[in-house]
Amino acid sequence: MAAYTSIASLPEPVARNLKEHRVTRSLRRPSRVYTDTTDFTSIDYGDIIAVEGRYFLITSYTKEGRFGVDEQIKPWVPKVEDLATGKNYIVKLVFKETFDMRLGQFAITCYRSPEKEARILELVQGQPHFMQGETLLDAVGNLVRVLIPVSGLRLDKVIHSDSTHRDYFSNQLPLILEQFLGCLRAIGFLHSNGFRHGDIRRDHIFVDRNTGLYYWIDFDYDFYLPEKPFALDLFELGNILIYLTARGDYHPREILADPTMGEAVVRTLTPSDFSLLARNRVVNLKKIFPYIPDSLNNILLHFSAGTEVFYETVAELHTDLSAALLELHS
Amino acid sequence: MSDWKRIIIAIDESPRSINAIEYVGSIAGHLAEVQLCLLHVYPEPPPDYYQSGAPLDEYKTEQEEKAKMLFAQAKKILQGHGIAAQSITSRCQIAGQQSISAAILDLQVRENYGTIVVGKRGISKAEEFLFGSISNALIHNGRDIAVWVIG
Repeated sequence: MAAYTSIASLPEPVARNLKEHRVTRSLRRPSRVYTDTTDFTSIDYGDIIAVEGRYFLITSYTKEGRFGVDEQIKPWVPKVEDLATGKNYIVKLVFKETFDMRLGQFAITCYRSPEKEARILELVQGQPHFMQGETLLDAVGNLVRVLIPVSGLRLDKVIHSDSTHRDYFSNQLPLILEQFLGCLRAIGFLHSNGFRHGDIRRDHIFVDRNTGLYYWIDFDYDFYLPEKPFALDLFELGNILIYLTARGDYHPREILADPTMGEAVVRTLTPSDFSLLARNRVVNLKKIFPYIPDSLNNILLHFSAGTEVFYETVAELHTDLSAALLELHS
Repeated sequence: MSDWKRIIIAIDESPRSINAIEYVGSIAGHLAEVQLCLLHVYPEPPPDYYQSGAPLDEYKTEQEEKAKMLFAQAKKILQGHGIAAQSITSRCQIAGQQSISAAILDLQVRENYGTIVVGKRGISKAEEFLFGSISNALIHNGRDIAVWVIG
């Protein structure tokens, strides 16, 4: 059980804001003030995290779904309000874990590293396409990352609409890829500084609802591939590009379920049309959507089982996608 | 072209490294003025290594101990092929921020070796993409040298 103090220890303006806060009114117990966040499971809704003279009231928790599991609360990632300024943040407390991620037939060891995320937050201060934040130290030296939430939706939620794929492809995709190029440059910037993003997924890009800009979030994962340190980031960038191009994932079951495609399309697929690592996911999208130009489809084929050439750097992918985008615009 | 008789044999604990050493021995044993460098490059420890409180020096010492045994075995094989002890040197180093293949090529350039010998792992396309192929990287990135890949 982590030690805490009472709200009597709070400075007067902070105590006043707490007293009037909606969260306080909904609590049946007094808030507790934590300066040591080591045992984050003891810290709860309505409690206050006090670090470096800042007082963060926990107002809710973030959630995440993964590996086929429904959305789960992440107790080490509370949503908070700064009781002095009234601003909202997401706080990430130290949670270290190591686990094996399955990728096709391979298991890749992944690490959750607060130190890595803290270093990246410092590196990307003021850089476009990155969630911003700062790192504070709690009373025992834990890295408490205070993140400015991006006001908007996950990329994979904003691309769907009732339009046909053809309409999406002609009218929406060029603008989406324009923004995605910025995301590629951002990852290239990380790589050039020796960092991996570590957890590139389509739900780790947020679209700012006011500016339409894309932002990467979540930098605390890392993996260990000493000979190809950036390969997994590259592969996942390819997966996002495939998803954006198709406006979804296409396995044989989705193709069979679509009356405009069905068995006739599935029959044309060969093993080399599928993903290099996820062997049931179609990468050669031209066989599904024949109007995709070769310049774009050839990029996707770099991530297929049939490829003879891999992208070694994000810059290579960026160059090819820029050229393909010119063709889409024309 | 660098002097091809200045040869790096990049080795690890795998049987394919023994194949490479045997192969080089069978050729170099008949040559005059050959210089062999047995090289063991190991990667940085995984990210969670430091969380246990273990220092990097401990990891390096462990790797160097392993390398000593590798080198002893390799030298015995090479000398068995008639190569003089003074023609064989050995080097063990951490790759640091580089990949293992880049560290091998760095040494090759810095010390003007003309040949690099490695064992062939025999990996799938997916493995090569994700985990990398040291032999392919050497062939792809090596300049003005011979790369021998021994199966």
